Amino acid sequence: MQFGIFSVGDVTPDPTTGRTPTERERIKAMVAIALKAEEVGLDVFATGEHHNPPFVPSSPTTMLGYIAAQTEKLVLSTSTTLITTNDPVKIAEDFAMLQHLADGRVDLMMGRGNTGPVYPWFGQDIREGINLAIENYALLRRLWREDVVNWEGKFRTPLQGFTSTPRPLDGVAPFVWHGSIRSPEIAEQAAYYGDGFFHNNIFWPADHTKRMIELYRSRYAHYGHGTAEQAIVGLGGQVFMRKNSQDAVREFRPYFDVAPVYGHGPSLEDFTDQTPLTVGSPEQVIEKTLKFREYAGDYQRQLFLLDHAGLPLKTVLEQLDLLGEEVVPVLRKEFAVNRPADVPEAPTHASLLAAAQNEAAQNEAAKNEAAKNEEVVA
Amino acid sequence: MKLVVVSAGLSVPSSTRLLADRLAAAVGRTAEVDVQVVELRELAVDIAHHFTNGFPGQALSAALDAVTGADGLVVVTPVFSASYSGLFKSFFDLVEPEALAGKPVLIGATGGTARHSLVLDHALRPLFSYLKAVVVPTGVYAASEDWGAEGLDARIERAAGELAALMSGLSAVPGAAGRRPSADTFEDVVPFEERLAALRPTG
Repeated sequence: MQFGIFSVGDVTPDPTTGRTPTERERIKAMVAIALKAEEVGLDVFATGEHHNPPFVPSSPTTMLGYIAAQTEKLVLSTSTTLITTNDPVKIAEDFAMLQHLADGRVDLMMGRGNTGPVYPWFGQDIREGINLAIENYALLRRLWREDVVNWEGKFRTPLQGFTSTPRPLDGVAPFVWHGSIRSPEIAEQAAYYGDGFFHNNIFWPADHTKRMIELYRSRYAHYGHGTAEQAIVGLGGQVFMRKNSQDAVREFRPYFDVAPVYGHGPSLEDFTDQTPLTVGSPEQVIEKTLKFREYAGDYQRQLFLLDHAGLPLKTVLEQLDLLGEEVVPVLRKEFAVNRPADVPEAPTHASLLAAAQNEAAQNEAAKNEAAKNEEVVA
Repeated sequence: MKLVVVSAGLSVPSSTRLLADRLAAAVGRTAEVDVQVVELRELAVDIAHHFTNGFPGQALSAALDAVTGADGLVVVTPVFSASYSGLFKSFFDLVEPEALAGKPVLIGATGGTARHSLVLDHALRPLFSYLKAVVVPTGVYAASEDWGAEGLDARIERAAGELAALMSGLSAVPGAAGRRPSADTFEDVVPFEERLAALRPTG
C-alpha cells in the first residue's frame, strides 16, 4: 500500500500571525514538503492544479520535474490534473516528458476542477464538464498508446497523422487515477478503463465516499478487469497531530475556525465527528485511518492533506515527521493484516512495464504456436 | 401514501405550523396518508452548515430524504419582506435538482395582513414550478384576521382535496414512480460505451 501527501497549493494567511506567505515562499514550501515526504519514507507527493488566486500550482509538471531532480523514490502525482480544460495533447506531452525525467516515478489523477470560471478562461463550456472529461481522456489514452493518431471529436481540433512526443517511457503510459467527490459518471469512467479511482474523502461523510467506491468497484468487476476487491482505490484524508491530543486540538483550532474551505462553519468537534478529519495524537490518526478500510475495502493509496489553512512550513514539516515516524509504519503493518493476497498494489511504472512485457511474450508465444500449427496442417 | 409537511414557522406555537397542521389533517380526511412534519426551525443551524460544509448533518439529511421520498408535500412559510422566508428558501435550495419533479405540492403562507396573499402566486408557485413540482391550483394564505373569520376552512378543504386527488391519481397509475426521473444516479449508471458513442462525430 502506498502512503503520501497531496497539496492544494493555497496561499492562505496564518490566522495566528496574520502573515501571508509570498507566492515564491509558498511554491518553495511545497517543494520542501515534497522533499521531506521522501526523507520520512512516504511514497507519493501529489500537487493540485489551479488557475486562480490564492493558489500557486498552475504548472504541475514544472514543479514535479524540479522535485524529481531532487528525489529518488518518491512517486510524483497530481490531485488533480484538469482533464476538462487542459488540451489532452499537452497533458500527453507534459507527462511523458516528466516520465522520462523522473525515470518513471510518475502517475496522475484526472479531475474536472471545481472552479467555474476556469472553463471559460480556457475556452470551454462548464455545462459540458462530464463530456469534456470523457472525450479528452479517451484521446489522451490514444496519444500515449498509438504512435500515430488520426482523431476527430466534438471539442478539439481534429488531429491527422499526429505523434505525441516524447513517447511514454518504455512505451508504457503513466498510470491514471480519476478523482471525483460526487459524480458517479467518473467512477464509471475509471471502472471502464480499469484505471484507479480516488475519493478525496475530506469534506464529505464516510457513507458518501462508500457509495462512490462501491459503485466503482462493482463496475470495475462488470468490465472484467478483475474482482471488485481488486479494483484500484485511493483515499484522501486530513490530519493534524501532536503527541498529546489536547495540544493538537488547541493548536489547530484557530486554523480550522477560519480555514478557507470549512471555516466559519461547523465546529471542529462536529467536523471531526462527521468527516475523516482527525485532530489528535498519532494513535488517534492511526485508529481513524484504519477504519477507512471498513467502508473502502482493502485499498491501494492513502494520501494526507497536511499543508493547508495557513499552517506555517515549520509546522507542516513537523507533521511530516510524525506521519513518517509514528503513523505510516504502523499503518503499513496494520493494513497488511488480513489483506487478501490477490488484492494488487497500486500500479507503478515497473509493474506496468513487467505486465506489458509479459503480455508481449505471451502474444509472441501464441503467434509461434499458431505458426507451428499451420506448418503441421500444411 | 406518505405526506410530508414542511413548516418554516419560527415561533412556538406558530400560526404557520397551525396552518400546516390544518392542511395535513384535511388531506388525511380525503386520502389515507402517513404524515411526517419537517420543522425547519429545528434545522436552521444544520441548513446554514450545509451551505458552508457542503454536506448535510444527520437530521437535515433525514429531512431532505423525507421530502424527496414523499408522495405529496404541504409546504408553508411565513411571509418575510414580501416573499417566503430565507430559511424556507434555503431549505429548498438544498433539495437536489429534479428531486421534486412531478411531485404534488400544496403551497401555503401566513402573514400579518391579507396584503401579502399574492406571495403564493408571485413567489412560492414560481419556485416550485422551477423545481418541476406539480403545484395544486389552490394555495392557502392565512392572515391573522383569517383565524377569526369565515372562509379559511373552505380554502383549506378545497386545496387539501386537490392535493389528495393528485396524490391518489399519481399513485393509482402503475409504475408512476418509475416514470419520474431517478433521484438516485448511483443505481442508474449510464454504461460508458453509451457516453463515448454520444460524442462520436456523425457522418
